[in-house]
Parts: sequence; C-alpha cells; structure tokens
Amino acid sequence: MTANVFLIQILNGLVYGGLLFIVSVGLVLIFGLRRVVNFAHGSLFMIGAYVGFSISLVAGFWVGIVGAAVALAIAGALLDVSVFRPLRGQDPIATVLVTFGLLLILEDLANTVWGKETHSLPLPEMLSGSVEILGQPFPTYRLLVIAVAAAVGIALALWLRFSRIGLFVRASSVDPVTTAVQGVNTDRVSAVVVAIGTGLAGLSGTIAAPLLALSPSMGGSILIESFIVVVVGGLGSFSGALIAALAIGQIHNLGIIYVPWAATMVPFLLMVAVLVWRPTGFAGSHV
Amino acid sequence: MSRATMNLTAGRLAAPRLSHLSWLLLAVAVAVGFGLPAVVGSVLVLTLLTQAVIGGMLAVGVGFLIRQNGVVSFGHAAWYGVSAYCIGLLLRHEVLPVEAALVLALAVPTLMAFLLGLVIVRVPGVAFSMLTLAVGQAFHEFAMKAQAVTNGDDGFAIPLPDTLFGLPISTVQQPETMFVLCWTLLALVIFGLYVTVRSPFGRLTEAIRENEERARFIGYKTVLPRAATYALSAFVAALAGLLFALYNGFVSPEVLHWTLSGSALIMAVIGGSKLLWGPALGAVIFFFLKDLAGNLTEHWPAMIGVTVIVVTVLMPAGIAGSLAELGGRLRKSGGRA
Amino acid sequence: MNGGTTGGFAIQGTALTRPYGGFFAVNKVDIAVPHGEIRGLIGPNGAGKSTLIDVLSGRAAVWSGQVRMDGRDIGGMSVQERRRHGMARSFQKTNIFPELSVREQLDIAARQAEKPNVPEVMEELGLTDLGPARARDIAYGEQRRLDLALALIGRPRVLLLDEPAAGLSMRESLNLATLLRDLAQRWKVTVLIVEHDMEVVFSICDRITVLQLGRVLAEGTPDEIRRSPDVITAYLGSAA
Repeated sequence: MTANVFLIQILNGLVYGGLLFIVSVGLVLIFGLRRVVNFAHGSLFMIGAYVGFSISLVAGFWVGIVGAAVALAIAGALLDVSVFRPLRGQDPIATVLVTFGLLLILEDLANTVWGKETHSLPLPEMLSGSVEILGQPFPTYRLLVIAVAAAVGIALALWLRFSRIGLFVRASSVDPVTTAVQGVNTDRVSAVVVAIGTGLAGLSGTIAAPLLALSPSMGGSILIESFIVVVVGGLGSFSGALIAALAIGQIHNLGIIYVPWAATMVPFLLMVAVLVWRPTGFAGSHV
Repeated sequence: MSRATMNLTAGRLAAPRLSHLSWLLLAVAVAVGFGLPAVVGSVLVLTLLTQAVIGGMLAVGVGFLIRQNGVVSFGHAAWYGVSAYCIGLLLRHEVLPVEAALVLALAVPTLMAFLLGLVIVRVPGVAFSMLTLAVGQAFHEFAMKAQAVTNGDDGFAIPLPDTLFGLPISTVQQPETMFVLCWTLLALVIFGLYVTVRSPFGRLTEAIRENEERARFIGYKTVLPRAATYALSAFVAALAGLLFALYNGFVSPEVLHWTLSGSALIMAVIGGSKLLWGPALGAVIFFFLKDLAGNLTEHWPAMIGVTVIVVTVLMPAGIAGSLAELGGRLRKSGGRA
Repeated sequence: MNGGTTGGFAIQGTALTRPYGGFFAVNKVDIAVPHGEIRGLIGPNGAGKSTLIDVLSGRAAVWSGQVRMDGRDIGGMSVQERRRHGMARSFQKTNIFPELSVREQLDIAARQAEKPNVPEVMEELGLTDLGPARARDIAYGEQRRLDLALALIGRPRVLLLDEPAAGLSMRESLNLATLLRDLAQRWKVTVLIVEHDMEVVFSICDRITVLQLGRVLAEGTPDEIRRSPDVITAYLGSAA
C-alpha cells in the first residue's frame, strides 16, 4: 500500500471519527450537566436523518440539514423539560430506562412514518463529485463532513471556554453538587445544553444520511459506538471524547479493510484495553 | 463475654439455615409445574407459557444483577446467545457427546462473563449499562459477520441427537414436556439464587452494592464479588439460552440482539427485581400482553416503550415489589389491630 | 496518659504532599502519633485535614512523602491490607450500609476481623437494641455511632476519625468524646481525630496538630495550643 492510499484511508477514518464525535459530544454535554445518559440519543440521530431527508426532498439539501438540526434541538428542549427535569434527583437508572423506552417508541415511529425499506438522501450536484488529493480521487462530500466536524468541534470548544453557560457546563461536569450550591440554576441552562446536544445528533444524522442507508435501525449502531467513545473518553469529558472518537474512527476504518469479519469487535477490544488500564477512561471527568 | 464470643463464632461458621417454608414452596412450585399442562390443555397456551418461562429465566438473571449489584445490564442476550451458539456449534461439528456439550455451553459464557466482569464492574453504574449494551452488540455483529463459523444472518439448524440423558429428544421439543422441564429448572434457579442472597457471599455483595467504598475500608476486595455476581447472572441467562436452543432447534443472530436484552430488562422492570421471582412474573405478563396485542403487534415495540416508561415512573419497585410492599403494610396494620 | 514517646510511632506521615486542583491540599506535612495517644487535628476549612486523613488511610494515593505504621512503610498498601494491619477510619459524611440492618453490617465487618467483637462494640456504642433495625431507619446520631462501630470492629490499633461528631447535638458530642477517650484507653487505640467541635478536641486529646493551608502551623498539648499566639490569630481568634 502506497503512502497516498494510506492517506486516503486516514481521511476516510477522519470522516467516520468526525461524525462519531458530533454524535458523542451531545451525550457528553448532557452527561456533564445532568449526570444522566440518554439512551435515545442514537434514535434522535436516526430521526434527524429522516427529518433531513424529508425536508431536503421538498426544500433542498442545505435546508434539510439546518431544518433537522433545529427540529431536533426543539425536541431536545422538550426532552429536558418532560424527562430529565422531572427525574432529576432520582437514580440515574430511571432516566436510562425512560430514555430506553423512548428509543423503542422513536424506532417504531420511524417505521410507521417512513417505512421499513431503506431510503437514501441524494446529494446536490456540487457535492457529488470528487476532488483529487495527492493523485487519488476523494469524494468532495466526505471532505465537507470533515470540515463540518471540525467546525462543530471548534465552535463548541470556544463556547465552552468563553460563554457563561459553557463555564457552567465545565464546572458542573467536574463537580455538580458544588456548582449547584454556588447558586447556578442547572434547570435554567440545561434546556439549552440538551437542545444543543440533540441538535447535534440531528445535524450528524442528516450529514451521515448520504453516506449510510436510512433505516429505522441506524440509530442502534451509532448509539453503541458513541457509548464506547463516551466511556473510553472518560464520561463527561469533551477532549476525551474527541480523542476517542478520532481513534475509533481510524480503527473502525482500518479494521474494515484488514479484518472485515472482526471490524466491529475492534473498538470494543480497544475499550476493554483502555478500561483495564484506566477504569475512568482517558480523561477522568474533566471537560 | 466469652459466651457472646462463642455465639458469634457459631454464627460466623453456620450459614443461615433455610426455613422449612422455603423448601415447601420449592416443592409446591415444582408440583404446580407438573400439574399445569394437564390443567391448561391448550397446546397454544403451553407454547406461550414455555416461551414465557424461558424468557423469564433470562429476566431472572437480569433482575438478580440489579438486585445484587445494583447495576442494569442492557446486554444479557450476549450470554443467552453465546450459550445457544455454543450448543449449536458443538452439536453441528459433533466434537463432544451431547451431555458434555451442554455443560460446556453453560461454562463458556459464564467464564467469559466473569472475565469481562472483572473489567466492567469497576465503572460507575450508568457507564456499566452503556458498556453492556456495547458488548452485547459486539457479539451480535460478530455472529453476523463471521459467516464461516456462524452462517451469518441466516443462522443454522441444530442437529439434535435422538436422546438426551436417556430421554427421547421430543421431551425438549414438545411444549407439554418442555414446559415442565423449563418450569422446574426456573424454580430451582430461583431457589438457588435465594440460597445465594442469604449466604454470607450474598450479604457481602449487598453491602458492596450499598456502599462500595465502605466495604473496602472494612477490609473487602470489591471487584471479585461483583464480577462473580455478574457471572452468576450470566449463568442463568446462559441456561435460558440453552433451553431456547434445544426447544427451537435453531440458532440465528436474533438470540444475541439487543432487543432481546431490552425485552428481558423490561420484564425485570415490570415484574420488579427486589424479589427474585419478580422478573419471572414480569415475563409472564410480557408474553401474555404481547399475545393480547394481536393485530397491534406491528406497534409492539412502541407499546413496550410506553409500558417501561409508565412502570419506571409510576411503579419503580415493579409489580412484585408493589405487591410485597402492600403485603408488608397489611401485615403491619394487622399486627397493630 | 501524656506519654507514648517511647517505642516509636503508631502512625506517622513524613513530608506528605498531595496536590488538589492548582494548589497543595497537603504540603510537606510531618505528623507522628505515638502509641496510645489521642491526637487532635484542627484547622480552618480547607486546611487539608480531611485530605491528610485520606492520604494516611489510603483513600487518596501518596503523591510524595511516606506513611508509616509502627515504623513500617505502608504507602503502597491497599486499604484492605491497612485494615488487616489494624488501621480503621470513619468518614465525615455518614458512611454506612443504609439497606442492611445494624447487626448485619457489623457481622459483615467482623468476618474480616481476626477477633470479631460485634456484641462488645454494639454494647459500647449503645447499639445493642438496634440490631435488627435497618440502618437507614435509625436516628442520625445512631447512624454516626454505627459509622464509628464499623471502624471499631476487630479492635483496630490505629483509628482515623474524620469529624465523628459532625451534626450531633452538644450533649451527644460530649458523650461521644467521653466514650472515645475511655475506649482508646481500655483498648490501647491510637487515635487521630479531625473535629470542629473545640470542646470535644480540647477535652479528649493528648496533643493537637494545627493545620493551615496544607501546612502544619503548630503542634502541642491542648494548653499550649490554646495559648499559642500563632494559633489564636490564625484560627481561634475568630472563634474565641
């Protein structure tokens, strides 16, 4: 394998890692603030893909992306008010079970509305070609995915660093009790934070749609890989999730090429290895 | 002083004795199992009951883990499925006598669960749930992708021998007899778990569940007992998977899918896991609801979703838990009156 | 009972340092408690008292410095091994097994003890009648005593107590202090006690170590500490 081909593989890994990062970071934000895990997160990714698909059929690709992100952000705010807020103070397992129930409902909803057969989201003309990188063709759209992932990462990093809510999320992910005692109202900011998290799930769902086949079960596999990212990265850690997502993106991609029959086992083995080494993940619990 | 010490030493050495009542209950449960097929009569209902008892056993495994370790597994189908695949592959390749294959099909998933448990019981509860889901799905993907071994998505028929422990193979294939076998085993499993939770080991794992840190500071290693509990609950799931494989004579990746793990968890939640038999009750309710749903089965997942939300929010102790609470309250007020 | 200077130290920390966030919660602290002594550990909030207890008990890893028990370096020992070597501790926040009965959890603790003494401990701490009660259902003061009882099972040689009287009424605190003093003498336990209640500290401690901002500010008998100008300015000034 030449260096050029290898570089293309790295880029492909970056595409998947980038997508995984956008999905996972939504889980990380919600965990950092509320100490709960949203098991319906993958389903929101899936619903986002379908919503983006439906909107883009009518109003075009770009409107589809924005529309899906906005629609899922609104759904996230509702989720916060109707699920996370009433269940705060209870065992986090209660939230896990309720969001698991939501997962089943959302999958059924997608089955009913969009049917079991797979759909695919067509790309606009300008993105369907490929560009040449070091003499190798590379699909333009995949570059766009990398760019969007990078933009989301930078925007989130700045937001966490400089905004009031961002500061609060960082403080809360280190020590939720003290932060709450300091008089900051978790409930007031959490609708915003959860909306951003689910909005990112919707965004990534639509962006992933042209690369994957749309099916109601697509939420399952992304949920599992993003769980691995979040746990390996160290629950609630923004930078840990970034590293883990990029690593799993590469490993996933190389695994498909070299050990296709075991590709899905590889991230799992990585996870076990990391946990043996550090039960709290890469980054402990700092954002 | 010395008398107190002696009492205490005796208390330490002798495990708490089981009451006659618990033995009696076991005997009654087994007797009911033998009597039920004659009473029910309908093969259709018996088929449903057999499925419910096998599902119930998986759920009992999940519930035992919740009760004893305080963590929720979203991936117990892994152990159910590994056991089913083990027996299938061993019989398919005729490497072992069937009786030995049965033992191995239980031992392999239990051992795997124990080793995995040493790693994953160390993470906090919510992360544990996430990891079990991921691990379960990794097994599922493996069964799908490793075509050469598992025949992928299509699965394969298990070539069953003519006899099993001297009994004709139809014993495990016809609902009339298989129901009795599964029911009896389920009763024995619940009884065995009951003995376990009352043993010093059971008390210790409860203490660790309650307060892991303090358990360490009074001198206990805490990973090993929790991993052992996880392995025991995996063993129960594996037994359920083994019964399923024998009853169906067929194995496919469905037995490893997370919807099965999720269903088992839901049975445990509906039934309530504070009492060991709660999840089994949940399983019976689950299967009969599913049957009642009839034409609506297309929306079965959503109905289950709604059910799990309602039970979690309104009845966190589950049906068995609520019954027990009610019973306790009645007893108390009766005592006062 | 002022002595104990002979025969080495029951528990000793040398140049202990432990960072927390951007500063040192414990900074080059030397502390040495002779056998049989009751040592008080006081200081304003954030002085590093709890961190010091955590480092000595193995809850927090030693970052630099040494922890010794009877002269033996125990820095690398797990908390379970420390317990086996006769070290026990209690916690600032009540740290019990809420769903187990009082008797059950003491029995579990006793299974790790060479000489189990559950009835004795229950008697001493006034828990005898509470055996079958679920720990979460008993009164707060009783829960605090249960916390202490869990540490006392097996008659530890070194007892590290992190605010055992926190949240107790004045009367309960003084009863607890008397009890501790008495038990320590009869069972020959070396005690290091963090406590906010000055009355408790001054009434039972042989010597007192004062921490401030992670460093040892002063050490001496209760009388010396009461009179130390440093301590008065830094700590007692506001309280006196």
